Amino acid sequence: MTRIMIKAENVSKYYNLGKLGSGRLREDFKDWWVRSVLKNGNNHNGTETRSHIWALKDVSFEVSEGEVLGFIGNNGAGKSTLLRILSRITAPSYGTVMGNGRVASLLEVGTGFHAELTGRENIYLNGHILGMKKKEIASRFDEILDFSGVEKFIDTPVKRYSTGMYMRLAFAVAAHMEPDILIVDEVLAVGDAEFQRKCIGKMKEVSSQKGKTVLFVSHNLQALQNLCQRVIVIHQGQIVDEGEPEAVIGSYLKKEKNISCFQEYDDMSSAPGNDSIRIKRVELIPEYVNGQQVIDIRTPVTIHFEFWYLEATSGNLIVGVHLYNFRGDFIFDVCSEGAIYPSGLIEGKCSIPGNFLNDDSYYISIVFVKDTTNRLYYFEGCLSFDVEDYRKNTAWFGKWQGFVRPAFPVTLTTK
Amino acid sequence: MQTEWNWKIEAKTRWFHWNLKELWQYKDLLNRFVRRDLIANYQQTVLGPFWIFLQPVLTTIVYWVIFGKVAGISTDGIPPVLFYLPGVIVWAYFSDCLNGTMYTFLQNSALFSKVYFPRLIIPLSAIFSHTVRMLVQLLLFTSLYLFYLIFTNAVHPNLYILLLPFFLLLTAAFSLGAGLIISVMTARYRDLDYALQFLLRLFMFASPVVYPTSIVPDKYRFIFWLNPLTPIIESFRTAFFTTGPLHYKYLLLTLFSITALLTTGLTLFKKRELNVMDIV
Repeated sequence: MTRIMIKAENVSKYYNLGKLGSGRLREDFKDWWVRSVLKNGNNHNGTETRSHIWALKDVSFEVSEGEVLGFIGNNGAGKSTLLRILSRITAPSYGTVMGNGRVASLLEVGTGFHAELTGRENIYLNGHILGMKKKEIASRFDEILDFSGVEKFIDTPVKRYSTGMYMRLAFAVAAHMEPDILIVDEVLAVGDAEFQRKCIGKMKEVSSQKGKTVLFVSHNLQALQNLCQRVIVIHQGQIVDEGEPEAVIGSYLKKEKNISCFQEYDDMSSAPGNDSIRIKRVELIPEYVNGQQVIDIRTPVTIHFEFWYLEATSGNLIVGVHLYNFRGDFIFDVCSEGAIYPSGLIEGKCSIPGNFLNDDSYYISIVFVKDTTNRLYYFEGCLSFDVEDYRKNTAWFGKWQGFVRPAFPVTLTTK
Repeated sequence: MQTEWNWKIEAKTRWFHWNLKELWQYKDLLNRFVRRDLIANYQQTVLGPFWIFLQPVLTTIVYWVIFGKVAGISTDGIPPVLFYLPGVIVWAYFSDCLNGTMYTFLQNSALFSKVYFPRLIIPLSAIFSHTVRMLVQLLLFTSLYLFYLIFTNAVHPNLYILLLPFFLLLTAAFSLGAGLIISVMTARYRDLDYALQFLLRLFMFASPVVYPTSIVPDKYRFIFWLNPLTPIIESFRTAFFTTGPLHYKYLLLTLFSITALLTTGLTLFKKRELNVMDIV
């Protein structure tokens, strides 16, 4: 049996809401007076009584040695609270977490960097804050310097650094700590693509070659799918799904991106879009036959969309429809012919014939492009739908392979 | 089933769980914070670390003029510069340490919300860096003292000088204990800040910084000596100037009250260090 590195049992956390804990002595005293002395718990001059929200509720899981575990969930689902508890930044309200080995958490790059100090001083300062010993930093100092690429400025105060240099130096320190358990939160959200690639590469190295345990929160599902061996989905403070990344991420996306097959906005100012494009309506209309209830592989569907075109200047407008499945595969990209349109309301549609898509979950994004290269607006994941399977005259009930499932005839004749 | 764990995070932190062993593991960090404070504080200043000397010198001159010349308060026959310096140094040490520790949570919330290390490192590092400054100032006092000792007949040392480290340790412990308690409170009640700065200024005049204890009327003297800083500053002067007997009883009382304060402070701080982050 592999060694368990972290075991969380019924970890719960609540935060108080309302007037209590207002941060002012007078208010708190008044509240205490009302509740404890006057024994009047309900209402007193509109003072709210204690209410709280559960940021986490009864979360239990185990992580074994060398495992890379990912957490996904909406904003506010409780992922960060969980990582904060695991990193010992905040205490749980109930429950316990037990663990083995040294934990280092990377909830931010450059934690504790001091602007007045030089790069060299900051490497040590940040390293110590992250839990490294002096010897460890000294022995990896050259490596860190090399990785950061700021050798020339190492004795300059970091306040003179560009943002890019600062980030590279900060990440270089973080990348060279060698804890038994590494906790990473959304670090990848900052920085450019190159930086993110470097981060992911380093994390992969840490987990696969060095056998470290990694706990990882990200909105970058591609990265999660690539790195993690197991993914936990947190929704409203609770674990709702857990398992092998591909399946879990697939079903998570399906739930999350399932905005509907219809969106309409009457008020132009609050509609999705920007100064060039505002969306009025998008709708997916299936053409059912013979009392069908759901879209299956035979059902033709039409995507209708209406938008306000606000860019009055001349230029060819092209509207493209992108279809993805929920594993992120790009199925097709079709677009209108470029033409000049007056500003105003424009309607469009795109029909997908029946007997074309395989059974799967899909989402559609609509892209608005001017003059071939100038992307005006990308309405991402605006529609989503499932295509159910339908089979006749077959004995095969396993997964039908392939992205598309056209009814091209395959004929056999005896000669 | 695995039962051995290196660490455990629980909902309720235990009382009296100071975990000093863990603190020791983070000594490099402590060291680094002290260094950071000392370096960063004098970046881009003209006089740099020279300010450490200049502050007590200027304060002493001001006190000498205002309290000595203008108000005519006695210095117990001690040369004024030497009389004011110990009070100024001990008081500055106390108030700097207190100010450095009592906003621990408010000033470090960004750091505390991103990474774990024993939170006690921060107030301790403040104490250490102010200790370095205080020692430098003590050097100034010592050289002036030696000057008077060699060239005049105005000062008479005695063996109590050997107790000086103990007096300074008491001062540090006093400010740390008070600072820890206040830091937990300022995290929640920010308006305490205004009241505290005012009280701190009053407290200076309740301590024998600019006057000797001998001018305090007899009927208030007992209350006056209850202030932990009084025996510390008075004993400091007694040791260097042989102004009177050493007040053992009050020193012991101070030792006792400061120990109690520090214990309370450490306990409260360790108990609340994690929960406090939810309300900062």
